[in-house]
Amino acid sequence: MPLWIRVFSALLFVSLQFGCSRTDSIQIAGSTTVLPVVSRAAEQFRMKHPNLNVIVNAGGSGVGINQLGEGKVDIGMASRDITDVEIQKHPGVEFVTYTIGRDAVVAVVSSEVFDAGVQALSFQQIGQIYQGKITNWRELGGPVKDILVVDKERSRGTRHVFMKLVLGNKEADAPGADLVLGSNNEEQTAISQSDAAIGMLSHAWLNAEVKGLAIVLDDGAVVEPTLTSIVDGTFPISRDLFLLTNSEPSGMTRSFLDFIMSPEGQKIVEESGYVRIR
Amino acid sequence: MSASARIGKGYVVASTFISAAVIVVITGFLVINSWDAIRQSGLELFTSEWNPPKQKFGILAMVYGSVVVTVISLALALPLGLATAIFTSEMLPARFRLYVKSLLELLAGIPSIIYGLIGIVFLSTWVEHAFDLQSGRTVLTGGLLLAVMVLPTIITLWDDALHNVPRKYRETARGLGLYNFEVIRDAVLPLARTDVIGAALLGLGRVLGETMAVMLVIGSIDKIPGSVFNVLVPGQTMTSKLGREIAETAVGSLHFSAMIFMGLILLLFVLSLTIVALTYFYNPEQRLYE
Repeated sequence: MPLWIRVFSALLFVSLQFGCSRTDSIQIAGSTTVLPVVSRAAEQFRMKHPNLNVIVNAGGSGVGINQLGEGKVDIGMASRDITDVEIQKHPGVEFVTYTIGRDAVVAVVSSEVFDAGVQALSFQQIGQIYQGKITNWRELGGPVKDILVVDKERSRGTRHVFMKLVLGNKEADAPGADLVLGSNNEEQTAISQSDAAIGMLSHAWLNAEVKGLAIVLDDGAVVEPTLTSIVDGTFPISRDLFLLTNSEPSGMTRSFLDFIMSPEGQKIVEESGYVRIR
Repeated sequence: MSASARIGKGYVVASTFISAAVIVVITGFLVINSWDAIRQSGLELFTSEWNPPKQKFGILAMVYGSVVVTVISLALALPLGLATAIFTSEMLPARFRLYVKSLLELLAGIPSIIYGLIGIVFLSTWVEHAFDLQSGRTVLTGGLLLAVMVLPTIITLWDDALHNVPRKYRETARGLGLYNFEVIRDAVLPLARTDVIGAALLGLGRVLGETMAVMLVIGSIDKIPGSVFNVLVPGQTMTSKLGREIAETAVGSLHFSAMIFMGLILLLFVLSLTIVALTYFYNPEQRLYE
């Protein structure tokens, strides 16, 4: 055998060994709502533990729960509760939940619609939009424009929380939907590009182009989506943000979770636009 | 035979078998994993209602989307590509041809996510304004974007195909008194036919298989529009559906199995189109040169 082949195979062998040996790393995936908190926390955590690799991926709550169930990640991120179906799918997994912060899901509209006067809607009205019964902003006192109804992928946490309140079922069909998008990021882009869109977003993703609607409650009270109303619980669509592990974590995973729950970690939660719980 | 030649030969043969084995393994994987869906849902797989919580897995809307997007993009890319390839191979002076070709190959190497982002920011807003639509994320946008993506590949392959036709045929044709365009139409193109078909098939495979870019611009709604010729509405292709949903399905569930079934249909699409094209257009005896 020529020398170069021997050297090459030796190198290959050594590199395989390195590839397989498990260096210290934490794999995290899931909700794009929780993602900003966790990726910032991961950055700061790595400064303290330079030899540690924290790999954070998006995908949505459904992906986070599923990949944790299949053992592909150490920590799953979720912005909704685990469904019974999901628990049944992974019988060998003991899901342990850590609440790291609170968030509100806000019905959002393009700024053009907001500025034209549609600034507060009731759950019934929003529900009728998603069912396709209201199709023009004129019917809600807005401009004469067809509504671009932006829906989300079914397993997304934001959609579960939103649909539960708006249509009474977290997996409700939305026959009025025009687009089905995924992450908060993608939805934010679509709504800001349009001048007649409605969608659902986490509170942290509102901006000048994407305005949050106030909710008209059954008793006529109007609640605006502000940090105050989320903290005191008056804003009706709020939810907990979770990190999930399979059974009680240990080692670096444990320390990372402790870091997020520490005052330092909770400060990151606040800076990301959510409500700290400690 | 010397040792190194033996190793070389072994390496070449093994590589061939590995490539063939990969195709067999993938097909096997798709068939085995989609079996649950075929058994439990049967013909319901070919309806247009996709609703995982209700255990409805009809893939028709996605099949429709894939077919329409493919037709649009090839209808645009093939004629444009052919014209461009004729220009670069037959009309462009040789020293410019190399520059043009390297630029085209550079374009072919741009990752599809980049095309997707450009598609969201520019193409979809152009489509929106041009047709005065509610949203520019439509089936047409997907088709246009794919046409742009596949053009460089098709042009550079077709340019090679035409350029490979030996000079003597052109000279003979000219010697018979044909005009330049007649030389190209009646001598060069028919001679290069086999390679031209091969390149078109590669383009087709790329269009059917492209996921990321399409997923970002097509709107991702599992609906067949009221009129099947209305391409100015959002839709879904098989690949964009797979891209969006596969990660959230548990391996082994009916949902997962239905997703894999869609992959199988996609593979069958490419395979059958390849077989049809090879049977009807490929004739090795017609090849006059190598």
